[in-house]
Amino acid sequence: MLLREVEYAKPESVAEALELLAANDGARALAGGQTLVNVMKARAASPDMLVDLNGLEELKGIELAGDGTLSIGAMTTYSELMSSAEAKARPILGEVAATIADVQVRNRGTIGGNVCSNDPTNHLPPLMVAVGARMTIVGAGGEREVAAEEFFLGVYLTAVGPGELLTRISIPAGKKDGFAAVTLGAEGTCICNAAASVNGAVRVALGCVDAVPVVLTAESPEEVADAVRAASLMPPSDVHASSEYRIHLAEVLATRAAQEAAGR
Amino acid sequence: MDATVTVNGTTYERDVEPRKLLIHFLRDDLDLTGSHIGCDTGNCGACSVILDGVLVKSCMLLAVQANGANIETVEGLSEDGELTPLQQAFNEHHALQCGYCTPGMLMSATALLRENPSPSEDEIKRGLQGNICRCTGYWNIVEAVKSVAK
Amino acid sequence: MTQASETTLAPAPVEVQKGWAGQSVKRKEDKRLLQGEGVFVDDIKRHGMGYLHFVRSPYAHAHITRVDVSAAEAIDGVYGTLTGEEVAALTDPFFQISSVPGANIKDFSLAVGKVRYVGEPVVAVVAETRELARDASELVEVDFEPLAAVVDARTAQDSDTPVLHDDAGGNLMWSGLYSWGDLDAAFAEADRVVKIPELHFHRFNSTPLECDGALVEFNRGVGQWTIHTNNQFPGFAAIMMGPAMKVGLDKLRFVTQDIGGGFGNKITSHPQLVVCCLLARKLNRPVQWTEWRTDFHLSMSHGNERWFQDTEVAVKDDGTLLGFRTKALDDAGAWLRYEPLGGVIWAQVTPGMYRWRHIELDFTQVATNKAPVSPNRGYSRMQHLWFTERVIDIVARELGLDPVEVRKKNYIRAEDMPYETPNGCVYDSGDYAGMLDLALELIDYGAIPAKRAEAEARGKRLGVGIGSTLDSGTNNFGQSRLINPELQFSGNNEVATVKLDIFGEIVVTLGTTPQGQGHETTAAQVVADILNCSVDDVHVRAGHDSYWNSHAGFSGTYASQFAVTGLSAVKGATDMLAAEIKKLAGAVFGGVPPEALELADGGVRIKESPDAFLPFMACGAIVNANNAGLPEDLDVTLNCRYVYRPPFEVPDVETKKGNLTLTYATQIHVAVVEIDPETGAYEIVDYAAVDDCGKRINPQIVEGQVMGATAQAIGAAIHETYEYDEDGNLLTPNFYDYHVPHALDMPPLATGALESPSPFTPLGTKGMGEGGGAGIHAVCAAIQDATGAIVTDSHNPYQRVWRLLHEAQA
Repeated sequence: MLLREVEYAKPESVAEALELLAANDGARALAGGQTLVNVMKARAASPDMLVDLNGLEELKGIELAGDGTLSIGAMTTYSELMSSAEAKARPILGEVAATIADVQVRNRGTIGGNVCSNDPTNHLPPLMVAVGARMTIVGAGGEREVAAEEFFLGVYLTAVGPGELLTRISIPAGKKDGFAAVTLGAEGTCICNAAASVNGAVRVALGCVDAVPVVLTAESPEEVADAVRAASLMPPSDVHASSEYRIHLAEVLATRAAQEAAGR
Repeated sequence: MDATVTVNGTTYERDVEPRKLLIHFLRDDLDLTGSHIGCDTGNCGACSVILDGVLVKSCMLLAVQANGANIETVEGLSEDGELTPLQQAFNEHHALQCGYCTPGMLMSATALLRENPSPSEDEIKRGLQGNICRCTGYWNIVEAVKSVAK
Repeated sequence: MTQASETTLAPAPVEVQKGWAGQSVKRKEDKRLLQGEGVFVDDIKRHGMGYLHFVRSPYAHAHITRVDVSAAEAIDGVYGTLTGEEVAALTDPFFQISSVPGANIKDFSLAVGKVRYVGEPVVAVVAETRELARDASELVEVDFEPLAAVVDARTAQDSDTPVLHDDAGGNLMWSGLYSWGDLDAAFAEADRVVKIPELHFHRFNSTPLECDGALVEFNRGVGQWTIHTNNQFPGFAAIMMGPAMKVGLDKLRFVTQDIGGGFGNKITSHPQLVVCCLLARKLNRPVQWTEWRTDFHLSMSHGNERWFQDTEVAVKDDGTLLGFRTKALDDAGAWLRYEPLGGVIWAQVTPGMYRWRHIELDFTQVATNKAPVSPNRGYSRMQHLWFTERVIDIVARELGLDPVEVRKKNYIRAEDMPYETPNGCVYDSGDYAGMLDLALELIDYGAIPAKRAEAEARGKRLGVGIGSTLDSGTNNFGQSRLINPELQFSGNNEVATVKLDIFGEIVVTLGTTPQGQGHETTAAQVVADILNCSVDDVHVRAGHDSYWNSHAGFSGTYASQFAVTGLSAVKGATDMLAAEIKKLAGAVFGGVPPEALELADGGVRIKESPDAFLPFMACGAIVNANNAGLPEDLDVTLNCRYVYRPPFEVPDVETKKGNLTLTYATQIHVAVVEIDPETGAYEIVDYAAVDDCGKRINPQIVEGQVMGATAQAIGAAIHETYEYDEDGNLLTPNFYDYHVPHALDMPPLATGALESPSPFTPLGTKGMGEGGGAGIHAVCAAIQDATGAIVTDSHNPYQRVWRLLHEAQA
């Protein structure tokens, strides 16, 4: 419950934030804090310095381009995503954000934090993969864009390297999306989840079954279950679900997400 | 590190370690013990306060992050020591037993009603979803909030 | 949608009572709690206090080979430490309730020589700030030699299983065989024997939102500790701590005010309190301890995990239950802190709500490398009542009968009350069949078939289930002798004081330690009725303070008894006060007899000539400050202390018979669940709870307890569990993985009430509050109904329900 000693910095620009992160090996970005602060309470991770990204306007804002692409600042909170008129261009975003935890968490938690922490039970990693999001990463070497499918590298591990920051997430136009989850209580932690997007074929991303979202494609929602079985998943067993039960849930939820997407 | 925080209209200036959580700052440094701690993973909401008009769990913020902010806690709800209509509704509907979750519930309900003065029952439950109660089962709390909704 | 429809049926003619009892008076406690002005233990500060952090064991089972606190103590701002070695030198092991072999274990307040569960306190560090104590604890060096862990009670007694307590010679802590009636005759008479190989009641607890804590000060001059704490049974804590610390009980002053929930889980914090006391004395400063959520889950008060093995039930084909035999195996965890009382407390409700007379239960309690078990809401009766309810539903299924009919056929009848059970307990009153009818009406039982069909059309499975339980209240502590005949406990008591202060203010103190049950309010209602004044004129002191001499050996708030013990003590003290007021007034009025006087309008007056009126203020002033001229033999202080003592005998240790509890409140719950058969995920779509706790002093407060018990039972049934891996690591050590219900998890709820007054209590009240876990039993029954599979575990998360569905299909 009590954090180890830590230094705190509040940069006034992204450039300053990057300098701080690059100059201090043990520095970490503090986004919404809804995950990181808890991790620090448990002393499971204790950065030497927290670089507070709150207040950096460059990392906020949601823009809707003429071609329907959404550009969302990494420090956009779940609440902001839910209430954004622009984000309604891709309704699944606000719908899924609304199922995350509770009002207090949604008021501070950010989409950048959610994807960068890449907890296998998070909602947004599979969703970003399913909708084909692109992540903008900025560092000393400049700016680059990484497809969501290549962004998630391992448990708690993403393509954002030391001294870098995720600044924006870009989402292509589309509306035929679905998301299905079995959670620990209403709006609780996901035991298993799946996101789907239909653009001709069905693209499904499974969460909770591996270190990173597992991507599958199928011609139709009816063929999704087969695709899941063919993926030979080996999900972890834990107190909420055995590996066998998780695989079964993955099949069911992937199908449901795909059906929802196809039905929009 | 400097933490200049306005709580319920009074401004406090303190020097705190960066690692100090906002909830501990409120309770230990400012003696505002109305906000409570019920867990260590940010799940229970007993520490909920309103910061710059936004409902947050103060156990997941550092005190230094609140530097310059305006915070409202349960102690600031009633102005003259008399119960507000929301507090009275809690009393009328037996929406508290041990009272430990109550300050957090009141802040969450306050935030909800400001944003949505006429919430449905489902909206009330969603507004309180971040606050755990072990005594009441929530039914009476929902009724209390309903009774002051417009 | 909460209907909160209160339907009250009085089974016997009851006088319409005027006055405060029976009214839903709004709570006195609320104002301070709503304004954040409650005083919970972590709110209290003392100048110079040190914050305590426990270094806890990372192993489930290990020898301690080295403890070195020097690095921690060297830090500036660290005030000091306490180790197991010091504790072993300064204190005696805690008194053990058990007979051998459990009696031989040596329980100190810090681990001595060995650790026996993950999270067990090993060293205590006290420092200037909370953070520093936490930091310094990381510098405490403890070396361990890990041992294999015992995590399954079923193999705890195998010859190759490691032993936790060498002093006990094995992991068996206590065992006892209970047998009443004639089992052979019952099984001979049976048409068939229903066999149930294994039933399992899981490990969980009530996770009060406030964890344990204390702030302890030591007064060197008089050698007395003041223990500000939220322990809910200071009477028990004192009895355990005094002998261990080798001090008289008057040296331990317990002070409580607001407590953030207890539910039984705040009874056994005495080891931690001893550590705080020793450190307060050693360091010569106040010591503050706050238990964090993870600490609580790891170490405090898990509910009894109990297996029922090789159950055989003698039944007739028409559904008549004749008797049963079973083997109850109880997993006590690493230490016996209130155990093995769980080994006899279930016997308060031996037959459940049913008329079978031939019962045998072979009870075994073992130690395992898990957190110590101690009371949890419904303590030990809940486990047994879950068992009886499972038996009913499994028998009904086997016989192809409706569980409603099997219950009604076998329920003890209202006309049988008071009813003596096979082991001599006396159920005071109740109309079980009537309550079941009301519950079924509230759930609209007749519409269930249509709802089932409608759910199936949507691809869902609907099920309905009943949970019927008793909340036995006001213990006869003599039952402890059935555990250990050497014990010298029996009966029960509670104290209250009521006085008229010098200005006529009515002041009440209670021996109890409420954690939200509204004692201040209900006590005021009882007092106001007797003194014929307003509840607003009655000031009830918040909390317990043993310095006020308003406590007795069994003082505290636990075991569903306040409405009997606490309120009867209040009644007794107030009756005494009322009599004294009349005596005083009689003397002041020049020799008027008490029958001619009445209390009204904030004073006392002559009935026939009401102008002769003495306000309470005058009474108080005369006795306290203006007493010259009063008759010499006038025996009046207007400061009355009353000890309520329920009528009990010591139970018979040979036959294990006797009345173990004074009152029996009844709970009948019905749950309707809807299962998603593809995932096993389910929700409760409708719920009814009918409660009978005799005369209700404050119906709204009673209903609040019913609701709270329902919510906790639902949580336990679906999500809440303390599960361990094979190395003894707790997999649910915080609210992230141990999911308790939130607002969106709650079903619609309809409540109903009956009042069957207890003939045995001064106010006709029965203790209530724990409930009997009826929600768990109802959900299990509903899942069985929906899936067609036999439910054998009290805990049914989605995964288990999915497996049950597949079993049933196979």
